[in-house]
Amino acid sequence: MDLNEEQAGGVTVLQVMGRIDSTTAPVLGERLTAMVGAAGARVVVDFSQLDYISSAGFRILLLAAKRADQTTSKLVLCGVSGKVRQLFDLGGFLDLFTIAHTREEGIAAAG
Amino acid sequence: MRKPPGIVYAVDEVPPFGVVVLSALQQVGLMSINLIYIILVMREVGATPELTASVMSISLLVLALGAVLQALPRGPIGSGFLCQPVPTAVYLVPSLIAAKAGGLSLVFGMTVFAGLVEVALSRALFKLRPLFPPEIAGLVVALIGLATGAVAIRTILGVGASIASGPSDAVVAVAALGTMIVLNVWTRGGLRLACVLIGMIVGYGVTALLGGFRHAEWETMVAMHWMTFPHLDYVGWAFDASLVIPFGVAAVAATLKVIGNVTTCQKLNDADWVRADMTSISRGVLADGLTTAVAGAVCTTGVSSATMCVGLASATGVTSRQVAYAVGAVLAVLAFFPQLGVVLSVIPRAVAGSALLFAATFIFVNGLEIMTSRLLDARRTFVIGLSFMCGLAIDFFPGAFAQFPGWVQPVLVSSIVLGPVMALVLNGIFRLGVRKTQKMVVEPTRVDPAAIEAYMETSGAEWGARRDVIDRASFNLSQSVEVIVESCDPQGPLEIEATFDEFNLDLRVSYVGPPLALPERRPTNEEIMESEDGQRRLAGFMLRRHADRIAATHRAGRSTILFHFDH
Repeated sequence: MDLNEEQAGGVTVLQVMGRIDSTTAPVLGERLTAMVGAAGARVVVDFSQLDYISSAGFRILLLAAKRADQTTSKLVLCGVSGKVRQLFDLGGFLDLFTIAHTREEGIAAAG
Repeated sequence: MRKPPGIVYAVDEVPPFGVVVLSALQQVGLMSINLIYIILVMREVGATPELTASVMSISLLVLALGAVLQALPRGPIGSGFLCQPVPTAVYLVPSLIAAKAGGLSLVFGMTVFAGLVEVALSRALFKLRPLFPPEIAGLVVALIGLATGAVAIRTILGVGASIASGPSDAVVAVAALGTMIVLNVWTRGGLRLACVLIGMIVGYGVTALLGGFRHAEWETMVAMHWMTFPHLDYVGWAFDASLVIPFGVAAVAATLKVIGNVTTCQKLNDADWVRADMTSISRGVLADGLTTAVAGAVCTTGVSSATMCVGLASATGVTSRQVAYAVGAVLAVLAFFPQLGVVLSVIPRAVAGSALLFAATFIFVNGLEIMTSRLLDARRTFVIGLSFMCGLAIDFFPGAFAQFPGWVQPVLVSSIVLGPVMALVLNGIFRLGVRKTQKMVVEPTRVDPAAIEAYMETSGAEWGARRDVIDRASFNLSQSVEVIVESCDPQGPLEIEATFDEFNLDLRVSYVGPPLALPERRPTNEEIMESEDGQRRLAGFMLRRHADRIAATHRAGRSTILFHFDH
């Protein structure tokens, strides 16, 4: 898994590439928790280049969303398509997160 | 079936009467282009205009029967789709050979034989399915699209015609094709639905304005009776064993055409289409074979499912079977009015070429989509690539194959015969050595996710499996290995076995250790967040839901999970 962080008009965009499994999920978890840990943070996680996400990855996302609620931060996912979207649907996660179609829409939704 | 966005009236829908009539008229207009194949055979035997007109009338009745048979939604005959037959290039060369060798009676007798071959093939299609995978059906459709496009351009340019095309033909082609494209792309409703018919009428109009009709054609039409009944006093049948190969090959090519066309129709009408429905295809091949057998029995030439008409349905978005019934009615009426037949047969070549070119573009793209719906490894790439290029070589270098032995010449008549035959042969050869069961061992201390993913990808490509099924299996394999290694403390390696046939993909994961929980209920979000056990139960829940069937056993300390995926 590779992570790439960018700033776009006060919104932090984290692009996740490759696989989120039990080995890589803790790394993503640490990073995300830190990002949404600051009060009022605005974070977009771009999954457009994600190949695989296991139950460990979904757990990390749930924890990050919970943390964002506690700190009144905003967490938006984008680029959830194809087989990754199918996994979100399968696990019943599509309605649990704010999911934008593109990165631009994600930034707008987070801003 | 969920209707795709581009389809206005799907196969089971009943469009307004006007839409049905308009759609039927333009379908018949497009079909009329292929009546030339009957005329070419009749010219070969030096038939009189009256005999030609009579055979034409009989043909129209047979085509009417074929359109209705093919569209029947229930019963043993008919694919249920708007996929009507037309006189076809597939039977042209064998018919010309037969006409030269034994006259019309031999043409008709051998046509009955070819129809019966197709009927027999329709009964064996289920067993032969591995020999006719979707990529070969797609190849056939794409080659037909290319061949139709080549004929269209040749027709517009007047290549090989006694009178070469001039500027007026170019004007007619631009007017006709331009009208079709503009109406199809930038309009909606009736204009889009009738774009080909309107384009052809515009083409006829421009031809008349430019003085493109010859007086002789109108004189022939005026001299004919307004209404007549076809006569059968030329009836006769003969059989020649030396023509079994050309007509047999033509029957196989016709079968492949139907497989490709019905597959396209299925895909056109179902946004969630994932695999060819062999029941519908088998019934479609039966209808096609019966129509050809009847054609020979009532003394006319062989027919086959019209790819260009499927292309037209795709372009206009009207695929309702009601149109097929209306096509049958229009053709039956035309059969008794030879003057109308003449109007159709004197269609200006620039108009005919434009309509063909329009349909060919959709046929070609549909073929490419079907071909690439499967994972393709080196074997399948060779099957498709070599067949495609060898097929095209026939059209590019027609003279280069003249020195081949006589017995192989029937296969070398056209790209739409050589390409599919080559693909069938290569598919048979490349199937050798493909293991239906692939095994893998994963050491719990050295799990390599990339190797696990590559195992499923490589296996899927070798089998020619569907991408979506391999993606699902790949997830289940990765997720199950991940959770077993983390939570089941496996003693020794995990043994993995994937078994495939055209209908099933079974994935078996076996290890020494306690069984994995595969709950039917999703754990709550709190349960998932609070403990790793919740996360594991989420994994088990997703594994269960992602497979079509799942079975888990635990015997003598060894746990086995079987994931079944329908294919």
